[in-house]
Amino acid sequence: MRRYIQHHAYYTRTLLSTTSTAIVRRGAAVNMIQLKTMVNVIDNSGAAIAECVKVLKMKRAAKIGDRIIVVVQKQRNFGPESGGSVSVSAANKVRRGDIRHAVVVRTAKKYQRPDGSVVKFDDNACVLINKGGEPIGSRLNGVVGKELRNKQWSKILSLAPMHL
Amino acid sequence: MSLAPSSARPLACLKQALRQCRAERHQLRQYATAESHYPSLQTRYPAPSPGFRTSHATKQNRPEVNMKKIAVVPPPRSIKKVCPDPIEALYQSQLKTLDPTGARTRLFAKTNVDRAQVGDILLVRLKSGDPFSGVCINIRRRHSPIDTAVLLRNQLTRVGVEMWFKIYSPNVEGIEVVQRKQGRRARRAKLYYMRKPSHDMGSVEGVTAQYIRQRAGGTTRGKAGGQKKKSKSKK
Repeated sequence: MRRYIQHHAYYTRTLLSTTSTAIVRRGAAVNMIQLKTMVNVIDNSGAAIAECVKVLKMKRAAKIGDRIIVVVQKQRNFGPESGGSVSVSAANKVRRGDIRHAVVVRTAKKYQRPDGSVVKFDDNACVLINKGGEPIGSRLNGVVGKELRNKQWSKILSLAPMHL
Repeated sequence: MSLAPSSARPLACLKQALRQCRAERHQLRQYATAESHYPSLQTRYPAPSPGFRTSHATKQNRPEVNMKKIAVVPPPRSIKKVCPDPIEALYQSQLKTLDPTGARTRLFAKTNVDRAQVGDILLVRLKSGDPFSGVCINIRRRHSPIDTAVLLRNQLTRVGVEMWFKIYSPNVEGIEVVQRKQGRRARRAKLYYMRKPSHDMGSVEGVTAQYIRQRAGGTTRGKAGGQKKKSKSKK
């Protein structure tokens, strides 16, 4: 990780990943996305960590591709190159305390696919969307689950750098 | 006065009962004479001749000589002899379709010295979707050997990912050992400690890409893979 620090672009990433590793452990303990679960936000909407307050249309824990309602708990602090607190608020499309819809893209809970293989990620992650289902951010960083394809989240899939 | 002895000697009635019993038995013994008195007791068959023995009874007392013989069916063959181990037979029949060459079985056979073990980096090529590579941290042989599965761990975009693959799954095209475990063999059967940040191997994408390039023999395909990987890391 240290060798990337020279790059500014990497600098922001390193910061983000250090915050997310702290969350990974918390998320792994809960394992299922339900009320009060802290979820990583992996888009550039400006939120870093969000808390799940509702799993929509379900009486169970959310899986990959399920829609949830979250409260933004922690904002993303962009690197020093973005310049001061003014631009931080300008760059962020969401703020702390905002209630937003989101789609789960990774779960730390094992999920068995129809072909018998099982997939499990190290953290719980989501992507913020508006009520129409369009993603709020314009970029995603991080792998997302392939289950999104069957649930008509193709826009998120196309934004993602990798899907599994 | 008649009641008194019975209440005083409760077993007195036993004597009367035994007496009655004896009388009945005596009557039974004189059954032959009794049946002349009771027409319902008479048999259709002639009375046994004098000097009759029970051993004669089979021939003498059976008028249905021409009766149809009922064929005696031999007991069915014991299923234990037909198929001593049905589970094993089922496994073999499944292997014939799922692993005709036997390569997959050999790769994970415990008798094979060069088998895939935990700690090795494996590459699973899938029929649908991209190949997945990772450190094998668990090999699960459960119930039947046909259920054998491997747990691979890798890091993609710096997120730990674990996947279970059934080794005989029709969706799995091939499993290759990219790299053996470095140093000694693992001292555990399940390397779950590799989930801890202090023991995590990190991404094995680089090792896999190099392996794929080597296998391709430095062709354009391998180079393209390398370039693609470079651009990915630049992003």
